[in-house]
Order: sequence, then C-alpha cells, then structure tokens
Amino acid sequence: MKLLALMKKEFVRFFSDPKLLINMLLPGILIYIIYSLMGNLIWQDAKEYKFVVAQTNAPEQIVAMTTAAVSGNGWSIEFQSGVQDAKERVEKGELTAYVVFPEVFEEKIGEYDAESGTPAPQVELYYRSADEESMSFFTLFTAVLDGYEHGKSNKFDVNAGGEKYDFSEETNVFATTMGRMLPFIVVALVFSSCMGVTLESVAGEKERGTLATVLVTSVRRSHVALGKVVPLSCVAAIGALSSFLGVVLSLPKLAGMAVGDLVASYGFTSYLLLFLLIMSVIPLIVAAIAALSTYAKSVKEASAYTSIVMIVAMVLSIAAAVVQSIGSWTVVVPILNAVVAMQGVLTLNISVWQSLVSVGLNLVYAVLLVLLIAKMLSSERIMFGK
Amino acid sequence: MEEIVRAENLKKTFTLSKKQRKIEKTTIGRKTAVDGLSFSAYRGEIYGLLGPNGAGKTTTLRLLSTLIRPDAGDASVCGRSVTKEAYKVRDKIGFMTSELKLEGFFTPDYLFGFFGRLHGMDESLIRRRKEDLFARFGIDKFAEVKVQDLSTGMKQKVSLVVAIVHDPDVVIFDEPTNGLDVLTAKVVTDFLCELKAMGKSVILSTHIFSLVEKLCDRVGIIIDGKMAKDGTLDEVWAGKTLEDRFFEIYHTVTGETI
Repeated sequence: MKLLALMKKEFVRFFSDPKLLINMLLPGILIYIIYSLMGNLIWQDAKEYKFVVAQTNAPEQIVAMTTAAVSGNGWSIEFQSGVQDAKERVEKGELTAYVVFPEVFEEKIGEYDAESGTPAPQVELYYRSADEESMSFFTLFTAVLDGYEHGKSNKFDVNAGGEKYDFSEETNVFATTMGRMLPFIVVALVFSSCMGVTLESVAGEKERGTLATVLVTSVRRSHVALGKVVPLSCVAAIGALSSFLGVVLSLPKLAGMAVGDLVASYGFTSYLLLFLLIMSVIPLIVAAIAALSTYAKSVKEASAYTSIVMIVAMVLSIAAAVVQSIGSWTVVVPILNAVVAMQGVLTLNISVWQSLVSVGLNLVYAVLLVLLIAKMLSSERIMFGK
Repeated sequence: MEEIVRAENLKKTFTLSKKQRKIEKTTIGRKTAVDGLSFSAYRGEIYGLLGPNGAGKTTTLRLLSTLIRPDAGDASVCGRSVTKEAYKVRDKIGFMTSELKLEGFFTPDYLFGFFGRLHGMDESLIRRRKEDLFARFGIDKFAEVKVQDLSTGMKQKVSLVVAIVHDPDVVIFDEPTNGLDVLTAKVVTDFLCELKAMGKSVILSTHIFSLVEKLCDRVGIIIDGKMAKDGTLDEVWAGKTLEDRFFEIYHTVTGETI
C-alpha cells in the first residue's frame, strides 16, 4: 500500500506533466526524422544499377549465375573481357568491379585437395566499397561465389591474397561500423534518458526538502528507494525505447537498406535478448544515478557525479565496439556485459547464456544499489548533514 | 497526568565543515548542539522550547521526530523509544518544520491523500479527515491548485494539515508562526489550542515570548544546548514576566548581560 503510493506518485508526476513527457519522447522522434532525412539525401540517386564488370578467365557457369542473380534484383550487368588497366578503371569509377579467375579455374578446383596444405586457387575481386553500386555488386558476386564454392566443397578462396582489393577509403565503411556501434548508442540513449528523470526526482527532491517530508513518515527506507527506482525505470524505459526505435528504424534508411531487410535478418530470439538486455540496463542505471543523487547534496553535485559514471560507461562501451575480441570476464562488469552481449546479438554471434547471465547480473546489481540507497536514506549524515 | 514525551539526557554533537568553522569563527571541529537535555511533556498540554538562535531547539525537535539519532541518551514518544522504535514513533508524531517541504507540482488534495496512504490510512478515513481539515483551514477552495501556485500562508496551512493527516498523538512544531501573516498565525495558534483541547500533546520551539505565554503549559529554556530551566509557566516565571525571567536565566548561564 505504502510502496504503491510512492510508486504511483512518481507516475503521476511524470504522466501529468506534458513537458516531461515531450522531453522523454522527443529525442527518439528527432533521431528518426533526422537520420531518415540524411538517408534519403544519401541514397536518393541509388535506384537502378547497371554493372559494368571487367573479367579475366571467368567460368561461364559463374557468369551465368551472376547474370541471373543481377536480373533477379531488377538490375543489369555487362561482363567485359580483355579490358586494359582494369584495376585503375575500377579505382577511377569507370568500371563497377574487376574479377580475376585463375586460368582453367574449374580444372584447378577439381584437382585441389584442401588437406594438402597448398594454397587454394584464388579469385580476385577489385571493387570500391564506398561506391554503392560497386559495393552492391561485391555483395551479390561474393554470394554467388559462396553458392558456387559450396557446391565445390571449398576448393578455392576469394580475395585471400595480400593485395588491396577494396579501393574505398576506410572511413566509408559505414554500415559495419554502425552495426558495431549500435550498442554504444543504445547505452548512451538509455543513460541520458535515465539521467533526465532520476536526477530531478531524487537529488531535486532531496535538495528541496520534499524527500525529508516523506522520511518523517513511518514508511520504510527500502520502500522509498524502490518507490523511486521502479517507476523511474519504467519512465526511463519509455524514453530509452523511443530513442532506440528512432535509431533502429532510421539506421537502415541511413545505410540505404529497407527496414524490412534489417528486421528480417534477426530472429525472435535476437529481439527478445535485445529487449531483455536493454530492460536490464535501465533499472541498473536508474539505481546507480539514484544512489549518487541520494548521496549528493544538490542536483548540481549529483549531475557532476553522474557525468563521471556516464563517461566511464561510454568509454567501456566504445572500447567494446572497437576491440575485436573481448574476454568472457566482461559478463560480470555492469553495463559492459550488456554492450558485449548486444554486439553478439547484432552481429549474429549470439551467446544466449552470456546474454541471460548479463541480464540477471544487472538486475542483481540494481537490487544491491536499491539496498544501498535505503541505507543512505537512513544515514542522517547523508540526508541531513549540512 | 499522562507523560507522553520523555527526553532523558539527550546529547547530540555535529562535525563542523571548514565552511561552518569559518562562519562560527572557531577552530574546533565539533559542536555540541544538545548537551544532556531532559524534559517531559504531558497529554493535553503544550510544551514550549524557548531559546535564542543556535541554542539547540531545532536539533531537539529533530531528535524527537527521529530525523536524527542522539549520540547519547534517549527519548520516548507514547512509550516508544526514538532510537530503538523509530518507525513506531513516526506513526505517533506529526512534525512540521521549515526544512520539510511539499512538492510544488502537486495539489493539496493529492498530497493529503499521498501522505495519508504513507501513514497506512484507508481511503474513507483520508476523505473524512480531508473534509474536516480542509474546511477548518480554508484549503478546500484551493484543493486543486498546485502548491507552487499558493500563497505562503496557504502553503503553511497545507504543510500543517499534511503533517497531521494521520491524527497523531504528538504534534511537533518548529517555529510554528515564523513567516506567517497575522491572520494565518492566528489560525495556526488557535488550532494548536484545539489540539490541546482534543487531548493531543504539542511540543513547539520558539523565541517569541508572547507565543509561549499565550499557548504553553510548560516551558523549557534552552541555552547552549543545555536545559537552563524547565517547568510550568508559573514555576519558570517566579513572579516576573517571562521576558525578564529569561534574560535573568540567560545572564546566570552565560554570564552575558543583554
């Protein structure tokens, strides 16, 4: 009853103040609008592809498979043989790509023994990943080769030599980077959403003396702590989900993909795990900010403490996005565990146990923080120290 | 007479921050705010703690209302120890002080219900009590106005009714008429007399002699955290005016002549 009254008050405070509601939902809407507009500007000319591809020794079967795949997408392709300076022309953008097969390719792969230790026959594919058309051909052609290779029991390699095949600048590898950065973006959005509601509700109330008015009643300190963390987590979840949806729905547009394609590439388990991971991070961050806010004497002081924690969380999240391989020890590190697990989900390297352990541990950490807040609420030095 | 509040040898010391030491012009890191304070308050009486600023009146009231814990000694409210049974004490008291504020975003109507629920009251009791207190203090017309939009006097009235929403046996007021206009001050002092008539105990702190003379049955004069004189008004007055008697006691304790 008392706990419900405390929780209800927080909900009433939020849902009856249109300004707070708008502040919470607006970032997600703005992200969607801005990213979508950017995406439309970037991809507005990329409607129809006419690939012009130089080839050397391309087997007829692969040419036929590629042509069929290109036609299937509603595009067209022209293979050219004996093209002079093909690599330079690809680099200049005069050709879509240049594919080089070894002479008598089919014979060579027929003779190749994968267990002999000798290098497999190589196919070289020169392209520009920054160029949408060239990149699309690369994606399509490697898929064709994968299918062909599958039928030949892995008898050759694609782009296995040390040469530079991608003529694009590194900075243009947009989609891959965004895929790896998304967990970081999610944590940043969740953090800002949690900060928005928690600082004011806890540090603000303490500073104004309204929290002390509650403490003079017979309500338990643990109820006061829960009465803050639970509803604020719900409110922060609305803001975080709004921002998250804004990002998820607009990123495909920014990357020139259809939302449906992105959605289809992940299964139900992926979405469920993503949802659970985000939902486990929210109460943890709210409880952490609430603990700092309870300790601080003012909103200003609480903001300063929270900013430090946010910077640490951001640095860890960026590190997780940049570092290729990260140890399983991260599962015990709050927030970082969720970032790593989310990356696994988004890159289709799902580790269900790691995700579930991360969710469980984050909730345990949140409960421990609630107990810490209750302890601090009982401390006269923290609550009433001048 | 039934003893409702008993303070026994209460002691409270605070650590002074660097800033506070500068303000107090001292190099000593600790300050004893309440030093061995003992007194009793009885049912149906108003007890006044009288003393200059910084004497320890507010600290004493905060100790009684369980906001802070004594370093030594103990106090009981309705037989419950403030150190060992703080939660039970909080159900027995209504505490009003300028440091406890109401959230300006909410209306008096909402806050009254909210604090009633925090005290475990059922909805019908909250409603009855609200009708009674809101009508008595003229809050009913402003029941749906946000507290932040109310006048200072009306805010004080709302704070008062919220503090006593659960009909406590003991009402503790820190400087009850501070900052109030004469009309609101009269409403508050009249209500304190009503509480007394209803058999409630009221403990208030003040430095206003006339308020003590008008309202209190007993008075405790606190100087430098110590109880300099405690008893009924007649016992403390000793045939003089309260003001004269106060300065006489003050001179005896501190050696200073005002």
